[in-house]
Amino acid sequence: MEKAEIDFGIGLNAYEAVEEIVGKCVEAEKLGLDYVWIGDSPPHLYYSSVAAAVASRTKRIRIGLGLLSPLLHTPDQISGSIIPLIEAFGDRFEICLGVGDRSQLSRVGVDTKLPRVWDHVLKAKRKIAGSLSASGASTRIWLGAQGPKMLEVSKSFDGVLMNYASLGMIKWAIDKVKPDAQKDFDFGIYAPSYVYRKWHPQAYRLLCIASAVVALGALGAVLDEFGVGKRLQRAREEHEAGARIESVVKYVPSEVVKSFSIYTPSSELSGYLRELGDLGISHIVFGFPQNLSKVTIRDLANALPNR
Amino acid sequence: MNCIWIREALNTQRDIFTVTSIILLETSRIKVGIGITSPLVRNISTIARAAATLSQIGRGRFRLGLGVGGLESLVKLGLDAARPSALMRDAATLLRRIWRGETVTFTSDRFCLSNYYARYKAGFATPIYFGVRGPRLLALAGEVADGVILSGPKRYMKKVVAAVDQGLRRRRRRMKSFRFIVRVPTVIVDKKSDLYLAREAVATVLADTPEAVLEMADIARERVKPIKAMIAEKGVKRASRLVAEDLLDEVAIYGNPEQVALDLRSLEKYRIDEAIFGPPYGREPAEAIGKMVQAWKKLK
Repeated sequence: MEKAEIDFGIGLNAYEAVEEIVGKCVEAEKLGLDYVWIGDSPPHLYYSSVAAAVASRTKRIRIGLGLLSPLLHTPDQISGSIIPLIEAFGDRFEICLGVGDRSQLSRVGVDTKLPRVWDHVLKAKRKIAGSLSASGASTRIWLGAQGPKMLEVSKSFDGVLMNYASLGMIKWAIDKVKPDAQKDFDFGIYAPSYVYRKWHPQAYRLLCIASAVVALGALGAVLDEFGVGKRLQRAREEHEAGARIESVVKYVPSEVVKSFSIYTPSSELSGYLRELGDLGISHIVFGFPQNLSKVTIRDLANALPNR
Repeated sequence: MNCIWIREALNTQRDIFTVTSIILLETSRIKVGIGITSPLVRNISTIARAAATLSQIGRGRFRLGLGVGGLESLVKLGLDAARPSALMRDAATLLRRIWRGETVTFTSDRFCLSNYYARYKAGFATPIYFGVRGPRLLALAGEVADGVILSGPKRYMKKVVAAVDQGLRRRRRRMKSFRFIVRVPTVIVDKKSDLYLAREAVATVLADTPEAVLEMADIARERVKPIKAMIAEKGVKRASRLVAEDLLDEVAIYGNPEQVALDLRSLEKYRIDEAIFGPPYGREPAEAIGKMVQAWKKLK
């Protein structure tokens, strides 16, 4: 795998006030980050409206939308939300499709247990790309993938975003994708992150919670592949019995947190980035709680190479 | 002008919430409403969060119009518009509960929420306007909505207030707290031949008007039947020739800009708080809107 040039982005939680989100995006642009990613989930604000507010106050930074679930939004609704953004603010938008957070989707009545769900997502991608192209617009469409089947399907997309951070897991996933050599394809990761200059216990606790959410939402096959399944059993049982994630997090071992998050002092980030680059990763999105404040965003930006 | 209303067309490639965000971002004073979207087309949690986002962006200038939706479009999408009263009542109630930050569990044949709560804070109040027409739904609007967006013949407008008032009284609400908004097909006529635009708009409106509304307006359904049939058979252009003069006057407002402005203002007599200068506007829509705005300013 050829060493890739890496784009860096920050993931934003779309449940803060719109003004707050916009302020953080303006800061991220000033600090030289390449991307902001605006998440979408039933308990969050509406992604494309937040994106419009961000685009209206920034000039250069690219805006990723997602993960967008075709189980929640129809392909026409997704393409219909991107086209006006491109018309109003130019070609600065990319989207990431995927199944989405099953637990949140089921709370709003969405059936996430569709057979061949990967096929559903792939069909949605084709329809969205077709609608965009019919309106003279285009955008990069990523797939948020984790398990073997979704990873395999991802080669029909423009890139894959994985939500784990351990080098072993990433290498395993890259081997599963095998994109066409001729195709312009990107490997990216979008993981809970805490890159710190000065360690703060509250931020670390939030990182543990965010990593626990990802780990507990991961497919059993993926967890077993890396010998994590058994170690998560207690947490999984408690969570399935209805315990809130905040009280389950104590049963999630720190190695699991490490596998599913980017957790490092800022002085050691460049080494990890070099290894990711060697694996062929070209896009890194630093997720919650890196976006906790403008200070944590600044700590990240200052630790990145050539900013 | 005080307000812009954006109408959702289900067959276009523009998401109404995204378009409305952009309009709110580009304006600072004017109120902007969606008139209307249907709770059948999106998950109710999506409508709630989209509306909350728009209210934040517009700092309270956003208004949400909610209706069952055009029957024809719903059928094309395979959606069932049966029992509209339960649909509209549940939709309004759920939206408000979500915006209040409640944890909601609710199951019906249309909605299914289980331990759902919004992680965002709504911030600004979003008024809900019902885009409904029949007497039962109008009474329901009086019970649960902040206002109604009406469309239809003028004689029907006269009877709307009484229908809404029934619902208001059921909830001991005051008429003053409720807004009546009417969308009227409007045409600035530069020459007599421009009237075809008004006739086409009226043919379309009448064909889509429920029988209960025709009854309230004392329009015999036999007069509308051939128009509807002709639209289905040969299109709206041919059907417009069947629109008689009295029906044209009942449904549309047309004339020179000054006349149109006066006629719009005269809707006050039906207890209308707000009139929407609706399409088709005129042969050159942008120019017609400009002329209308000037005439309205002079009148004020």
